[in-house]
Amino acid sequence: MSLFFRLVAVGALVVCSGAPAHGAPASSAEVTAGNRFNPDISVILEGNAYRDDEGGEADERIADAAGINEIGGGHGHGGGHAGEAIGFNLKPAEFVFSASVDPYFDAYAQFVVTESGDLNLEETYLTTRELPAGLRVKAGQFLSGIGYHNEKHRHQWAFIEQNLPYQHLLGDHGLMGTGVQLTWTPLTPVYTRFGVEALQGDQAVVGRFDGEDRIQDLEDIPDGALDRFADPKGGPRLFNAFAKLAPDLGYSHELQMGLFGVFAGEQQEVHIEPDHVLRGDYGVVGTDWVYAYDAPHQYGKGDLKISAEYLYAVKDLEVAEHAAQPKVGDDRTFREDGFYVQGRYGFAANWRAALRYDAVGAGINEKTVGATGTSESWDASHRVSAVLTWTPTHYSRLQAQWSGSDIATESGRERVSQYFLRFIASMGQHGAHDF
Amino acid sequence: MRLLITLLLTLTVAAPALAGPRVVATTTSMAMLARTVGGDAVSVTTLAPPDRDTHYLQAKPSMIRDLRGADLVVAVGAELEVGWLPAALRQAANPAIRPGQPGYFEAAAQVALTGTYERADRSAGDVHPAGDPHVNLDPVRMATVAEALAQRLGELDGAEAEAFRKRAADFREAVEERLTGWQEQVAGSPGLVAFHKDIRYLAERLDVPIRGYLEPKPGIAPTASHLRELVDKLKGGKAGVILRRPFHPSDPVRKVAEATGWRTAVLPLDPELGADAAAYFDLIDRYAAAIGGER
Repeated sequence: MSLFFRLVAVGALVVCSGAPAHGAPASSAEVTAGNRFNPDISVILEGNAYRDDEGGEADERIADAAGINEIGGGHGHGGGHAGEAIGFNLKPAEFVFSASVDPYFDAYAQFVVTESGDLNLEETYLTTRELPAGLRVKAGQFLSGIGYHNEKHRHQWAFIEQNLPYQHLLGDHGLMGTGVQLTWTPLTPVYTRFGVEALQGDQAVVGRFDGEDRIQDLEDIPDGALDRFADPKGGPRLFNAFAKLAPDLGYSHELQMGLFGVFAGEQQEVHIEPDHVLRGDYGVVGTDWVYAYDAPHQYGKGDLKISAEYLYAVKDLEVAEHAAQPKVGDDRTFREDGFYVQGRYGFAANWRAALRYDAVGAGINEKTVGATGTSESWDASHRVSAVLTWTPTHYSRLQAQWSGSDIATESGRERVSQYFLRFIASMGQHGAHDF
Repeated sequence: MRLLITLLLTLTVAAPALAGPRVVATTTSMAMLARTVGGDAVSVTTLAPPDRDTHYLQAKPSMIRDLRGADLVVAVGAELEVGWLPAALRQAANPAIRPGQPGYFEAAAQVALTGTYERADRSAGDVHPAGDPHVNLDPVRMATVAEALAQRLGELDGAEAEAFRKRAADFREAVEERLTGWQEQVAGSPGLVAFHKDIRYLAERLDVPIRGYLEPKPGIAPTASHLRELVDKLKGGKAGVILRRPFHPSDPVRKVAEATGWRTAVLPLDPELGADAAAYFDLIDRYAAAIGGER
C-alpha cells in the first residue's frame, strides 16, 4: 500500500511540475513555457538483461575479492550491494528536479524509485550563485568532487558496473554524503579548480562505522565493555580535498589531471572469530587523468575519450577491544591500491566501442600487525570489460557488455564472465553534457 | 628562480591586460558580431570552432576557464547550446554572466523566430521548442542582433557606447548594400536541400524554397527509406543544390545527388575562427553562389 502512495506522490509531482500553463493542451505546449517557474525535470530509466557463468553469483564473487575491505559480505557487512539477477533487471528510475531557488541559490533534487518500490533520496543540494572570486558552495547530499568518475551518475557510466578500485576502496556508489563543499575556480590562464569537503561520513567503506548492530554479534566479549563502541561521535567525520588542472590544448584536445585525498577520522570495524573491535582512521589518495579528442564529425564519430584513475588506501587501526585481552592497543595497518584505465571510441556515427581494464591490489594488498611486525598479503584481482554502444539519439542508448574477471578469493582464484544488454532512456529536460 | 620568472611572464602574457569588456562568444558567427561591433575596445574568445556541431558539445574545462574571466557571453540562444552552456556557466562560478544578468546575451532573443509553436515532442527528433535558433545565416537578423549587442556593450563600457552604435549601424548598412545582390543571384533557383533544419532563415530571406532535408527528423541520421522518398520528390524537376556542413557525412548527400542530378556544396554554418564582417559576407556570398549555381 505504501508503495502505491509513494508512486502516486512521485507521479503527482511530475504531473504538477510538467503541466503546461493556462491549461493549454499538452501536445502543443512549449517545453519552456510549461516550465516557466517550475523546475527542469528529467526522468531516466534503465534496465538490463543479464547472464553470468556463476549461476547469478558473479557479483558476489567480485565483491568478495580479497583485500582490506570486506565489502562482499563474508563477514556480513551489508554494503547495500545489489547484484544483477539472471534474466531481466530494472534499475532504479531516476527523477531529477533542478531550478534556481532565488537570486542566491540553485537547487537540485534527485530521487530514485527501485523496482521493489523503495523511494530513495540521492543527490539533493543547494549551490550558491552569487559568491565572488570563483567560489562556490554546495550543501546537502551530493557525490564528492574527488576523482573523475565519482561525480558521474550511474546512467553516465560507460560500463554497467562500478570499477574495482571505487567499489573496493571507496564504496559501491563511490563517495556520496551529506555535508558541504567549497570549490574555487581561480582566474588563471589554464583551467584549475580546487575543492574541499566536510561530510557527515555515513559510508559503507570509507569511515565505516559498524556500531550497535554488529556489536551484538560479539558473544565472547562481555556486554558492558562494548557500550562505548555503540555510536559514532557525531560528524563531520569524512574530509576530502581535490585539485584539477587542464592545460589549453585547443578545440580538439582536452586533458584534465587531478589529485585528491580522502580522510575519515573514525573508522570502526567489528570482527568475529576471534571477537574484536578495531578503531582508527581511513585515508585514500588518488590521481585522475582524462584525455578527450573531439572529432569534427557528427553523431560522435571519431570522438575518443581515455580516462584513468589510481587509488591508494590505508587503514590505520588499533585493537580497541579483543576477546583475548593482551591484544588491546595493538596496531593493524591495511594497505591496498587499485586503478582503472578505460577508453571509448566513436567508430561510426552513433556507435561507440569501449574497453576497460581495472584491478585492485596489484601494487599492494596487505595487512601488517604492529606488535609482531608480521604481515599478511592477498593477491590482486583483475577484470577486463568491453562494451558496444548504440545511441540512436541523444536521449536513448543501447549497450552490450562483456566482463571477464579474475578474482583472488580466500579459496583461490576464480574466473567469472558476465554478459549484459542494457538500455537507458531519458525524458524531459536532460541534464547537460559535463566533461 | 628562472622557472618562477618564466611562470610569472606566462601568467602576465596569457591574461590580457585589456581594459575593455572580455567577450566570450559561443560560435564564430557570434564572435564575428562581437568583433564587428566591439572593435578594438573588446577582446573576443570563441568557445566552438565552426567545424563542430554546436548542439552536441561538452562543457569542457577550457570553456569554463574562458567563461570564468568573461564580462559578457554572447550565445546564439533559443536552446541551441542548452546541452553544454548552462553547465559550463554553472561551473565557471562567474555571477556576472548568469542568464538574466547584463553579462549574458542571446542573439535569438533579439529577433523574431519561426517554428516557436511546433510540437515539443522528442519523437519528432531533436526539436527546439523555443524556435529555430539558427539565426546566424540571416544577415538581416544578424544586423538587428548587432544593434542589440551594441546597446549591451554600451551598458558595460559607457565610454565606447557611441562607437559601438556606429559600428552596428555600419554593419546594417553593409548588409543592406549586399542583400539585393544576393537575392538577384539566387532568383529562379528551383530550391535547396539541406542536411539539417538550420537554413530556414536564409532561405526565407533570399526567397529560395527548401525542398527537403537529408535528416528524416532533426538530429536523426539519414535513413535509406527517407533518402528514397527524398529522391522521388526531387527527381524530374530542375536541379537545385544539396548543402551539407563539413561535419556531416558525405555519403548520403552523394547518393541523393547521383540519383537526382542535383549539385552539392559543402558550406559551414559559421565563418572561420577569427572572422570579421568581410569573412561573414564572404560566407553568405558562397551560399548565394551555391544556391544560384553557375550563370
